[in-house]
Amino acid sequence: MDYDVLVVGSGIGGMESALKLGDMGYKVLVVEKEASVGGRMILLSKVFPTLDCASCISTPKMAQTIHHPNLTVLTYSEVEGIARNGGGQFHAKVKRKARYVDEVACTGCQKCETACTVAVPDQFNADLVARRAAYIAFPQAVPKKAVIDRQGSSPCTFACPAGIEAHGYVSLIRSGEYEKAHRLVLDATPLVGTLGRACYAPCESECTRGSLEGTLPIRRLKRFISDRHVESGEDLGIEVAAANGHRIAVVGSGPAGLTAAWQLARKGYAVKIYEAASEPGGFLRLAIPSYRLPVEVVERDIQNVRDLGVEIATSTPVRDLEALKAEGYDAVLLATGTPRSSGLGVPGEDRLGVMGGTDFLRKVKLDQPVDMAGKQVVVVGGGNVAMDAARVARRLGAASVTVAYRRGRAEMPAHHVEADDAEKEGVAFTFQVAPAEVVGDASGAVSGLRCVRMALGEPDSSGRRRPEPIKGSEFVIPCQVIIAAIGMTPDTAAFAGTVGVGRNGALQADPKTLQTSVPWVFAAGDVVNGATDITRAVGEGRRAAHMIDRWLTGGMLDGFDLRLPVVDKQQVLARQKTYTIRPAAKDGVTLEAAPRDFREVEAGLTEAEAHEASGRCMDCAVCSGCHECVAACPVDGCIDLQARDQELEVEVGAVVVSTGYKLFNADLKPQYGFGQYRNVITGMQMDRLLAPTRPFNTILRPSDGKVPERIAYVMCTGSRDETVGNPLCSKFCCMYSVKQNQLIMGALPLAEVTVHYMDIRAAGKRYDEFYEQSKSMGATYVKGRVAKITEKENGDLVLRYEDIENGGTLVDAEYDLVVLAVGVQPNREAAMLFPEDKLAEDEYFYVAEPDEDLNPGVTSIPGVFVAGAAAGAKDIVDSILHAGAAAAQVAAHLERTQAKTKVPA
Amino acid sequence: MSTTRIREIREIIREEPVMQPRILQALEGGPRTVPEIAEAIGCPTDEVLFWVMGMRRYGKIREVPGANADGYFRYSRPDWTVSA
Repeated sequence: MDYDVLVVGSGIGGMESALKLGDMGYKVLVVEKEASVGGRMILLSKVFPTLDCASCISTPKMAQTIHHPNLTVLTYSEVEGIARNGGGQFHAKVKRKARYVDEVACTGCQKCETACTVAVPDQFNADLVARRAAYIAFPQAVPKKAVIDRQGSSPCTFACPAGIEAHGYVSLIRSGEYEKAHRLVLDATPLVGTLGRACYAPCESECTRGSLEGTLPIRRLKRFISDRHVESGEDLGIEVAAANGHRIAVVGSGPAGLTAAWQLARKGYAVKIYEAASEPGGFLRLAIPSYRLPVEVVERDIQNVRDLGVEIATSTPVRDLEALKAEGYDAVLLATGTPRSSGLGVPGEDRLGVMGGTDFLRKVKLDQPVDMAGKQVVVVGGGNVAMDAARVARRLGAASVTVAYRRGRAEMPAHHVEADDAEKEGVAFTFQVAPAEVVGDASGAVSGLRCVRMALGEPDSSGRRRPEPIKGSEFVIPCQVIIAAIGMTPDTAAFAGTVGVGRNGALQADPKTLQTSVPWVFAAGDVVNGATDITRAVGEGRRAAHMIDRWLTGGMLDGFDLRLPVVDKQQVLARQKTYTIRPAAKDGVTLEAAPRDFREVEAGLTEAEAHEASGRCMDCAVCSGCHECVAACPVDGCIDLQARDQELEVEVGAVVVSTGYKLFNADLKPQYGFGQYRNVITGMQMDRLLAPTRPFNTILRPSDGKVPERIAYVMCTGSRDETVGNPLCSKFCCMYSVKQNQLIMGALPLAEVTVHYMDIRAAGKRYDEFYEQSKSMGATYVKGRVAKITEKENGDLVLRYEDIENGGTLVDAEYDLVVLAVGVQPNREAAMLFPEDKLAEDEYFYVAEPDEDLNPGVTSIPGVFVAGAAAGAKDIVDSILHAGAAAAQVAAHLERTQAKTKVPA
Repeated sequence: MSTTRIREIREIIREEPVMQPRILQALEGGPRTVPEIAEAIGCPTDEVLFWVMGMRRYGKIREVPGANADGYFRYSRPDWTVSA
């Protein structure tokens, strides 16, 4: 057996039971779901009737609980289930929720909290003020250790194949930290400007805001920080490790190669990139048209890589990997992409005027002569290269451009935006046609493309409907230029003798480690996977750098993808009942029907637009992954954003359920206006306003920050009320209201306090005297129910009530602030702790004590006991008494059953 | 009677980082009350109170001691002094 007793919950009842049992010599495990012990009492202003400071008398008990030699306390942990194990003992499963902060190393300095960029309602301040995603529960928290509220991966971040912390940089932009946002993207790739323009933004497809008025423009936000960085002229600000003596050759300078080189250089490797073309950048520099991705943007991103000392040798194709090895490289990465255009495979394709899609785009990007003026052009294919080729041809003065695709528009692999934009620029489409022959004239030049019409059959392995030729449907599209953009293939013949080459010339490499059959050769990106997109290539480059580093440092080739599970978007949306719909960002694209130049078609976001757009982020995972906490933390390694929950299983001799109570949800009394009128607050909120650690600088009304002069209390809100299913008196609302009345009159001597009540229940030692003292201090007590509350334009509240002691007349009275003395309700999570044995509840759904008159604390399950308000509404004094009784019952049970780990001292 | 629907607290609080620079700018000329800040930045007073108190909590603004005759405190940038 691991512990004599498991105590679930560490409010005043739980702490008291645990301490008493610990003092008796029993080994006790305390499990608390919040990040601190103490429950609600520590959050109160003072206690009644003594008006002792709640913090002052709670914190010693909290510290005792944590430091008691016989107590083990797990905060930020949840009991997932308790079952009897057959020997009269219990088996409990406990989840230790990831704090993402090393509990031992954390000094409680709050620097992470101050640096955090995400604001959420502070549950420890009854939602009156914001806390941060990184937070310490409250100033007197025990243990005083930070927690990061990180509920998984945000959908945008999770969706990024490049592993870019999309939520993180959006959050930093929202906070005006543009350089930090830029550096966060640089942490993944040097291609910030490039991806800000040419990425197809899978992050945006997953943005939860898309379910409301529309996705955030996450890609353009990336462009914004890139452009701002350039304007600022600031250094990259990236940390680079000291040289480690290893040399790496990267073959190919596309997105995979550049990203891998960047990451390796940051780790201290000496990296040289070998590029066969005359310019570095691969597809980015030599294919994507400038109206989508200006050359200077790509060159700027490539300069980022050079700035880390990476050498780029252009016009230097690699044909002999062994020779490269002989030059002293410790590892080689092949990232040569798919530079070759696939041919049409039809008769006549060698005629003058037929060219490959990437060949055509490359010529244009290199300013080589391509004559399109006045010509009829047919582009064969339905991918992004086809769209690029068609739009470039338009810009070069083609008389007409027609895209011929063998399937339908819905099946086109091109991004739909590209196709839509091409159409707006005057590109024509003809669908379900396939080339059959290039028709030429006597000189050998193209004069047309003979096509056959296609019918779409059953779906093929790609899930798209298979095109099948229709007999006798051939026709000719007159044209002088045909651009074949039906696919791209790698150029890997030179490597075939060294590493494995598969179908279509793709290199063979382990999909996780990216290692080829030759251990020192790795391969990444399109040369392995076939043509994909920039973002995936970037991700492959990052993975390759990680694996090469692991291999050269003798580590296991794993540990690359450490993403937490993605959060459920429906759960994110369910955090709010209503949403304000914000205008979605305009796309910023300006298209002309007959474009004649290569100016960028998309405008960047202005600062105001970027701020507005980033402000729409819903913080799906709460923590954004901006890493500001990590940077601010003075203890290296203290914060680990990749931490995982841990599951524990323990055997215990007995269980104490001290899960406390729930406060009544005041918006279930809509006639009182809670949740509709800001100046209607709950008693718990008033206790926070009165506490020394209050969320405001004093008692202020929430509608406008005015110091209230007329304050009303509405008693029995949600208690003694059959209409909300709670006929029970909550027992302590009268007294906490009386306490607050006195504290308010002390803090605001000019304030008038009026209490609307049915009857005051002041049964307890010195309670009635306390009530009388409140009246003598000036509080007014009016007997009669409040019928409803309405709000005036200035935020003042009008209470309509029955004045029983003055003839039962209906009266309207105005107040600045109304406090609802909300009652309590059972915490039904208690019963769910026991999925197999039913923990009986009483008729009001509190944990039942079948023999409560003579055996308080004993539940329906032998060996399971209940302490404090989990068994029914109790004030602090009664909770402590009840918890003591429960501890005695536990001790008696353990002695009786001899189910204990050691003899009590 | 007011019919303006108040926004959800979570949504308001989430916007605090966006509103911080606007509020700090509104305080450039000296301390202001919540209604004055609200007027300056064109937002509802109840929302401004959330942002002001969030900023106060993390030391980005502070209150000037003593409420004015209308019962409002004024809030300033931390570096503001009477002579500034």
